[in-house]
Amino acid sequence: MRESTIMKIHYGTALAAVALVAVHILMRLTQGFAESLEYENVLANYKFIPYAGMLELILILLSVHGFNGLRVILLELKQGRIYEKAVSYGSLTAMIVLIAYGSRTIIMTNMGMV
Amino acid sequence: MTQDEHKEGIKGMANPRRYGIERVAYWLMRLTGLGLLAYFIGHIYETSNILRGQVGWDEFLELTQTTEGHAILAIVIAMCVFHTVNGIRVMLGHGGIGVGKPARPDYPYDPASQNYRHKIGIYSAIVLAGIAMLYGLAVMFGE
Repeated sequence: MRESTIMKIHYGTALAAVALVAVHILMRLTQGFAESLEYENVLANYKFIPYAGMLELILILLSVHGFNGLRVILLELKQGRIYEKAVSYGSLTAMIVLIAYGSRTIIMTNMGMV
Repeated sequence: MTQDEHKEGIKGMANPRRYGIERVAYWLMRLTGLGLLAYFIGHIYETSNILRGQVGWDEFLELTQTTEGHAILAIVIAMCVFHTVNGIRVMLGHGGIGVGKPARPDYPYDPASQNYRHKIGIYSAIVLAGIAMLYGLAVMFGE
């Protein structure tokens, strides 16, 4: 993929994540901070499908943005054909693993498999 | 750049004091990005503890809902706000907004893009990060 396209994705994921993370944080402030973290409240959040969907979206957006950012930082430090491929594929793999792990929590909790 | 500066290699490039607030913003952007990625991975692991049921969740909350945990979260809030505000500044700059008009380079060759608008953007990001951190501390410790 062209670097210009990757940077557009980087900026797009950043803007979308800012909006959704703001909603995620505001949800913590609708009740007291400690109260919002109680087991029943968190479980209720996960079982509310629109909210669970938003969490999944945040997970994907931040994983893509975060690991692409890490890739950019690593490519600034050192260059080379093999190194660049290793960094790019390594970041992509880490991104997929994190999304899979986070999705597992969201799906299992949403479906009541706790 | 003089010959001596070249000899410093990556240390010279990394020196945040030599090239003004823009270089400080460059480093803060990368450091906050790495910090936020580390926190994000930790947060995904932290929330996965809900699959261990109420006991597992409460056990993990006991670890994170401490004075140290709140202090770390306040730093995360500051990093998040700085990264967001400075990121928007960088995006605007890449889009050609606030970087000035193209002009013939004349002595003393001041880069048109490193102007007061972007400096204000960087200082605003730092100030807003500080305010958000204080607000976060007030919410977390005010209960």
